[in-house]
Amino acid sequence: MKRSDFPMLGYGVGLRRQHYGHVLEARPKVDWFEVVSENFMVAGGRAIEVLEGVRANYPIAMHGVSMSIGSTDPLNREYLLQLSDLARRFQPAWISDHLCWTGVGGHNLHDLLPLPYTEEAIGHVAARIRQVQETLERPILIENVSSYMAFADSTMNEWEFISAIADEADCGILLDINNIYVSAFNHRFDANEYIDALPAERVVQYHLAGHSDHGTHLLDTHDHPVRDEVWALYERAARRFGAVSALVEWDDHIPEFAELAAIADRAREIFDANAAERTAKPALSADHRA
Amino acid sequence: MPTQLKELQSLLYRLITAPSGVAEGLAAERSLGAGGLDAIVRGDDRLSAEARVDIYANMYFYRILDALKEDFPATLAVLGDDNFHNLVTGYLIQHPPTEPSLYYCGRHLAEYLRAHPMRERAPFIADLAALERAIVEVFQSRDAAPMEPDALRSIAPADWPAMKLKLQPAAQILALDWRVSDLVRAVEEERAWEPLEPRAVKVLVWRHGTRVFHRELEVVEADTLDAIVRGESFAEICDRVAVRDSDPVSWINQMLARWLSDGLLARR
Repeated sequence: MKRSDFPMLGYGVGLRRQHYGHVLEARPKVDWFEVVSENFMVAGGRAIEVLEGVRANYPIAMHGVSMSIGSTDPLNREYLLQLSDLARRFQPAWISDHLCWTGVGGHNLHDLLPLPYTEEAIGHVAARIRQVQETLERPILIENVSSYMAFADSTMNEWEFISAIADEADCGILLDINNIYVSAFNHRFDANEYIDALPAERVVQYHLAGHSDHGTHLLDTHDHPVRDEVWALYERAARRFGAVSALVEWDDHIPEFAELAAIADRAREIFDANAAERTAKPALSADHRA
Repeated sequence: MPTQLKELQSLLYRLITAPSGVAEGLAAERSLGAGGLDAIVRGDDRLSAEARVDIYANMYFYRILDALKEDFPATLAVLGDDNFHNLVTGYLIQHPPTEPSLYYCGRHLAEYLRAHPMRERAPFIADLAALERAIVEVFQSRDAAPMEPDALRSIAPADWPAMKLKLQPAAQILALDWRVSDLVRAVEEERAWEPLEPRAVKVLVWRHGTRVFHRELEVVEADTLDAIVRGESFAEICDRVAVRDSDPVSWINQMLARWLSDGLLARR
């Protein structure tokens, strides 16, 4: 799997309920939308009608929060089949979920919990990603999560862990730039080193979001503008990785759509401004701009 | 399955969901080694291992609390923030989430409230939660094409007796002991609600397009809709109405017009 297997969607915004009407009626100028898969894994009603309307006008990617790829529970076959049905119906450019576990013992914590960075976990998660990819009949992307705890048993750092899993499972990476920043602060590692060490050809998408500062730790709350430090990391990534689809996430205290679109535009401007300095060849072409 | 990973996840699950917090959860863990939690989760000068797990415990509870507040706004308004918070604490012990979507978190709340001491404060509270849950379920239930208003005109007279009507699959008819519909509307409209009195009532919850509606049913209409759901023919339904209403033809005509205009009937 390599990035050029996927389209370059450009600069998009996470679709949220508060903006359904605006997106359907005003068709704002934005390259693409990411939708939270679980919000549309329903039998019918408003959500499905909205997604049909959005999909008619924009490319989409499906982003899940409940695959629980790192759990020691069996994979939820029913969930995967529903996800597969949704993908068949709405033809997303790709499907992503988080490198985490969300529950165990048949229970769901509805949160993204980190894994210990061990060989045992790499083998476990990579095998499960392969199973998921067989069921969905496509490679998926896994996203680095923000974390607030790290484990004494870890034998490597986070970027080595995610790189090894992506390599062993042959999947892509959804790189959340804000999550790198948040985890770097919480666990005192060098965020630049993280970006510099990832396998460039596997990075297919970025997330850009805001966080909140609690003094002792940063929380990935998606309720603030993107901080300057996160933009600086994005710029570093843009120089290193070239053309990667970027997506603005905002989940609480959601502002007007125009503010989110402006963040997406800023991501585009930063990428364009750094075109000359990129060390990796850009893959952006007219064909790729859906 | 990796044993170490399973043990780690099980331990963290118990600590994160411990009803009285991570500290009490830790006290109940007999199998932790000499290093305790510090041998498993790395703490530092900014945050101890326990404080780090506590961040997850708070996020777990408050994420679900917020989702339930959104799904049960009238139940929340009646109980108040503190009582609702305590209600959810107990509810999660009995009904921890098992499904991939937060949508399912509130599906047992009405049933849980039927045996809850808060019924002494608000005896209608379980019925209120049942109606609010039905509204959530109807909102995203299966779609079906509505019957067009003039569709009935194309039915040949000879076919009417055997004809069977069909309700939208999203529609629900609730049997409640309290008249809680007005309370739900009052909270939606941000106005004060009248005191409730007990009275057995059936409430129809349905979706027209993408909007959810609810209203109390008179006994004859409730019986008729129940008969439609059971698959009774139009002739059987007319017989049923004839013994309950002095002018059954006029009543059925009115009802058919109303159901069609409300989008309650599905295309056959």
